[in-house]
Amino acid sequence: MDLIGDIIINMFCSFLGTIAFSVLFNVPKRFYICCGFTGMAGWLCYLICINGASVSTSTFFGTVLVVLMSRILAVWKKCPITVFLVSGIFPLIPGAGVYYTVYNVVQGNLAEAAGRGIGAIKVAFAIVLGIVFVVSIPKQWFQVNYWRSRFRGASENSDL
Amino acid sequence: MDDRIDCTTDKKAQDESVDMRDVLDLAMNMGRVLLKNGAEIFRVEETIDHVCGRYKIGDVESFVMSNGIFITARDETEDIYAKVKHIPISGFHLGIVTEVNDLSREISAGKIGLKEARMRLEEIEKMPPKRGRFRILAAGIGSGCFCYLLQANFWESMIAVLIGCLLYVFVIFAENHRLTKIITNIVGGGFITVMALLALSIPWPFPVRMDKLIIGSILPLVPGVAFVNSIRDIANSDFISGIVRIVDALLVFVYIAIGVGFVLGCYNKITGGGWI
Repeated sequence: MDLIGDIIINMFCSFLGTIAFSVLFNVPKRFYICCGFTGMAGWLCYLICINGASVSTSTFFGTVLVVLMSRILAVWKKCPITVFLVSGIFPLIPGAGVYYTVYNVVQGNLAEAAGRGIGAIKVAFAIVLGIVFVVSIPKQWFQVNYWRSRFRGASENSDL
Repeated sequence: MDDRIDCTTDKKAQDESVDMRDVLDLAMNMGRVLLKNGAEIFRVEETIDHVCGRYKIGDVESFVMSNGIFITARDETEDIYAKVKHIPISGFHLGIVTEVNDLSREISAGKIGLKEARMRLEEIEKMPPKRGRFRILAAGIGSGCFCYLLQANFWESMIAVLIGCLLYVFVIFAENHRLTKIITNIVGGGFITVMALLALSIPWPFPVRMDKLIIGSILPLVPGVAFVNSIRDIANSDFISGIVRIVDALLVFVYIAIGVGFVLGCYNKITGGGWI
């Protein structure tokens, strides 16, 4: 019971937080809900993966889901992918790692600071890899018409 | 797809005689507005190509960088058009990017004429950012929510909401007075830390941890658009622009770190190393 409550609160917070950040980037009102769902999906994916994998691996899978969803939504809503991508990725940004690095540098624990800093860089690279992998998928794969014409066997007539 | 565009193009192209200069000015302006408000390089290039393709200007070359656009074109009469535009890196407004993207779609589908498009673009450019109060509230809610996601307790999140709101009051003040990015982020980071230390000095009836407060309320300063755009530019092999933008994003992280680190260091000196 406690677990379910925890999951619901996590979903709600990531949803609302993502929408709040999309407001800061001046995203048009009609995309708020979609932005919220993108951020929520990314965070849930991260939470599921974190049980069995490291922070950077979980961030990678979370990012992959966020970018996939953003691309599908961008094709569906006919708008730039940046709108969903930027707000959706916000929960995964390694703000904590950067803070602990600075904290330990100031306090003089340089070994600890280096560890935290490298951790933050690993997470940042996980985000980069996640974005690069999904962005490299051909554009046509996200269009319904492409698959429709593929399945009809009319691919040689299409203008793709 | 191509057929549909062609027939509408013919219809429109007959009832208005298009001058190459007008078309390219429009393309240049759309590119400028897109780049200024945080679009990726390839989106700017595609928009210029779409607008020129719609009016059948064949010999167009555009070169887009993170802070400049170069266009040259030549038509059948050997008339040459060349223009360079410098665009300083500035704030982001994804609403404008979306609107210009829609406009470019409408232009390439032939739904809108040249004059109309120019007027629409002027209107879009004047689109204001969201109202101040709304953004302050959003920054607070965002800070609070992400503070909670990072395993803070409920009351810590509430304090983070407050700090986030106050931080954005400062950010909007800085925007209105055109303070540079360096000052905004260093002072912003320092401000958050001061507020968090103040919050710690109040004897709350519940545990309050400084790290959670700072991590939560720092997020509104994080340069998300610049970071994501730079990665996408590098993924598209626009290396020069990508590297310029990623340096821009990383420097903001460094500024925030300087702000936070400076205040923490001063506090450390004053209290003689006694951390709460």
